Amino acid sequence: MSTNGMPPVPQKDDVKATWNYLEAGVEKIMTNLRGGMDMKTYMGLYTAIHNFCTAQKAVGGGPGQGFASHQNRGGAHLLGEDLYQHLITYLQNHLESVQSRSKEHVDEALLTYYIKEWNRYTTAGQYNNHLFRYLNRHWVKREMDEGKKNIYDIYTLHLVRWKEDMFMGTQQSVMRSVLKLVEKQRNGETIEQSQIKSVVDSFVSLGLDESDSTKSTLDVYKEYFEKPFLTSTATYYENESRQFLAENSVVEYMKKAEARLDEEKERVPLYLLNEIMSPLMRTCEQALITNHSSVLREEFQSLLDQDKQDDLGRMYKLLARIPDGLDPLRTRFETHVRKAGLAAVEKVSSEGDNLEPKVYVEALLEVHTQYQDLVNKAFNGESEFVRSLDNACREFVNRNKICKSGSNKSPELLAKYTDTLLKKSTAKMTEEDDMEKLLTQIMTVFKYIEDKDVFQKFYSRMLAKRLVQTSSASDDAETSMISKLKEACGFEYTNKLQRMFQDMQISKDLNSSYKEWQQENLDADEIKSSVDASYHILGTGFWPLTPPTTPFAPPQTIVKTYERFAAFYNNKHQGRKLTWLWQLCKGEMKANYLRMPNSKASPTFQVSTYQLAILLLFNDSETVTYEDMAEGTKLAKETLDPSIGVFVKAKVVNVSPEGGKPEAGTSYTLNHGFKAKKLKINLNIGIKSEQKQEVEDTHKTIEEDRKLLMQSAIVRIMKSRKKMKHQQLVSETIQQIKNRFSPKVSDIKKCIDILLEKEYLERLEGDELGYLA
Amino acid sequence: MAAASTSAVDPAKKMIMLTTSDNIDIKVEREVAERSILIKNLLEDLGSEGDEPIPIPNVNEAVMKKVLEWCEQHRKDPPATQDDDSDSRKKSTDIDEWDQKFMQVDQEMLFEIILAANYLDIKALLDVGCKTVANMIKGKSPDEIRKTFNIQNDFTPEEEDQIRRENEWAEDR
Repeated sequence: MSTNGMPPVPQKDDVKATWNYLEAGVEKIMTNLRGGMDMKTYMGLYTAIHNFCTAQKAVGGGPGQGFASHQNRGGAHLLGEDLYQHLITYLQNHLESVQSRSKEHVDEALLTYYIKEWNRYTTAGQYNNHLFRYLNRHWVKREMDEGKKNIYDIYTLHLVRWKEDMFMGTQQSVMRSVLKLVEKQRNGETIEQSQIKSVVDSFVSLGLDESDSTKSTLDVYKEYFEKPFLTSTATYYENESRQFLAENSVVEYMKKAEARLDEEKERVPLYLLNEIMSPLMRTCEQALITNHSSVLREEFQSLLDQDKQDDLGRMYKLLARIPDGLDPLRTRFETHVRKAGLAAVEKVSSEGDNLEPKVYVEALLEVHTQYQDLVNKAFNGESEFVRSLDNACREFVNRNKICKSGSNKSPELLAKYTDTLLKKSTAKMTEEDDMEKLLTQIMTVFKYIEDKDVFQKFYSRMLAKRLVQTSSASDDAETSMISKLKEACGFEYTNKLQRMFQDMQISKDLNSSYKEWQQENLDADEIKSSVDASYHILGTGFWPLTPPTTPFAPPQTIVKTYERFAAFYNNKHQGRKLTWLWQLCKGEMKANYLRMPNSKASPTFQVSTYQLAILLLFNDSETVTYEDMAEGTKLAKETLDPSIGVFVKAKVVNVSPEGGKPEAGTSYTLNHGFKAKKLKINLNIGIKSEQKQEVEDTHKTIEEDRKLLMQSAIVRIMKSRKKMKHQQLVSETIQQIKNRFSPKVSDIKKCIDILLEKEYLERLEGDELGYLA
Repeated sequence: MAAASTSAVDPAKKMIMLTTSDNIDIKVEREVAERSILIKNLLEDLGSEGDEPIPIPNVNEAVMKKVLEWCEQHRKDPPATQDDDSDSRKKSTDIDEWDQKFMQVDQEMLFEIILAANYLDIKALLDVGCKTVANMIKGKSPDEIRKTFNIQNDFTPEEEDQIRRENEWAEDR
């Protein structure tokens, strides 16, 4: 039987002989697996174990008797412990020599040795596990079922012994070699990565779950691999980053840190366990970023000043990786943007009162655009940075040098800018797409405006003017703007604007049906003598318009014309009162006494109705005195004088005496020598002082409206709450109103006092207020 | 002569040789033989390139043939997992029809099959064998059991009495 150096096959109940036989086989498997295993030996070993374990101490009759001789009254006693203990001793001795030989190696040679021995040993372990399978199935299983500790299946036993008798004694030097290798790689050398991977695998295999040997844990790997790996990583990068920063700029350092972080991330799948990713990243971030975060942040300002988007982006990405890394940046960013905005306003504010709204709004926009771009590109559009940007913009839009006179200035200028955009003259040049873009830009600034009510006021006045004077460039653009405002502030905000728009549409229809009516109801003479006119019917409540402040006696032709229309209108809508807003009316008149140079055509004067009335007086007489003018038109002096002034300045009339003031005794003669340069001459020139007056009026009405808005908000709140603390009422009022303007607490208190006086509210005990229905 | 073509054969269908304890060679398809975990592990560990016969020192030809007959029948059974419903299998004494017929052998052969299944590590066959024995015991009195298995009663009447009293609670009456 023993053809290949094996001892004789043992008697099945002879422990010593059986182990001798097994030991020779195990030794072969351990040391000379390739050379020495054949089927006979394999079966011999398995059979020896089987026979030993099934041998009965009290050997009865032969197999012919079946189970008849097997009588174990005390329950089955399973044999095998002797073999198990012998195997333990064998493995301990074997591993002792493996370990002592490991001392002959260092560094990469040690790794090679460890891995070679590990592979040999675990392969042998698999073999032994198969050969000892009968032991596993019976004795080991029984022991484990009975809850005995420290009994493992044969393969696990191999691992347990390796861990105790080999690993514990060598892991430190093995790890030292591993870490040296990794450091080499970090320094740019090429290494044998698979060695580290094998070590990792080996450490992982040794993580046995004490309570369940079929499961494994990462305990051993974490303790003996991950821990030292992270420590050495931290040390490496702490040293490197300190040294690098001492010799290089922060910008260079950020590039380095970024590259290092990428490198470490790529290292994990190459030969480490995926579990290490997050602790490894955290370690690197600590050493590379957190430790130097203050140095990085100090660089932030100068990068902002130089607008270095790439570097700012890099800084963002680095600091975003560590907890609370970005907060200080946001604060600085906000301050920086605010300063930039204020500086931009400061620059344009040198123009003083003549500041073009366009220049102002563009200055605001430029700052916003620049930093929004930065937020999107460098800061990844992160919402917190967006918020910082918004805060900064809100600050410099509402509180800057221009607004010193009052925070109303921004919405006023913005509304004026919008007006110029939507007016015919500029809009003509603007393509539809561009217009949409410009309106969107306006909304960007609008979003930051705190006094949205001021914008509303100015906007509605200017819209009214555009509509009445038909100077609006495009209905589409107007509607688009209104819907944008509606989207931003709600239905209520744009309600009146929309009604104004509707009135214009209705008026258009009205005019055409009036024309039809005229065709049907007037005879040819009447039509010929009537003035060709069009009418706008504007709802009193919706339009920010007031009746004329001056008395006025319209010329007869006009009176006839409008009375006819009034009759038509009253017939259509009974009970409506028409008030003529003469100050907004205008007309054209042909100067038949004049000829264009080199032409037979007569020039046309574009005039206000007041001017029209004045000029018509000259149909009766070449010369009209100031008194006649005042008497004929009934206009108040402050309206009459500037109207005449325009004629004098344009040399439509000559003054006598020359340079005479508009007062009694002065007379005006039609100037037949008037040189018309154009076919149409606009004499309906708005008067500067009037515009200024208008602005002031607007502001005044705003103050009034605000009081009403606050009072109605207070009443609304009290009506639903019935009772409320003073302080609470104030803060809730602010909540309700702040999207229109920022109310002052003192103003709200004043409003509460007014409401107390008017007995809408009453004082209750403590600090409470009550609602009186 | 056939050796040249072995590489083209499906490894599961490849014929392997077993040598029984009474020195008889049996040819069997690898897949059939591998119902025995012992043989399966051996072939995996040592490889089956050589045509060397596998010695089975604990099983004789007659029993081996019987065991291989069972293996042939159950060659496609799914391999039992580690603790695949081991409880339910232990409890039930149901045996499928083919296996029942298969087990209709004399007692000596029955025990030889059980021993061989235990040695060769064929769990399902071991289970069937044990269930068959269990069914032989079921519903029998101690004397009947002794008779069935040819067991001598080595209790003294006193001992027997004591045992009966101790187990009285379990009798169904």
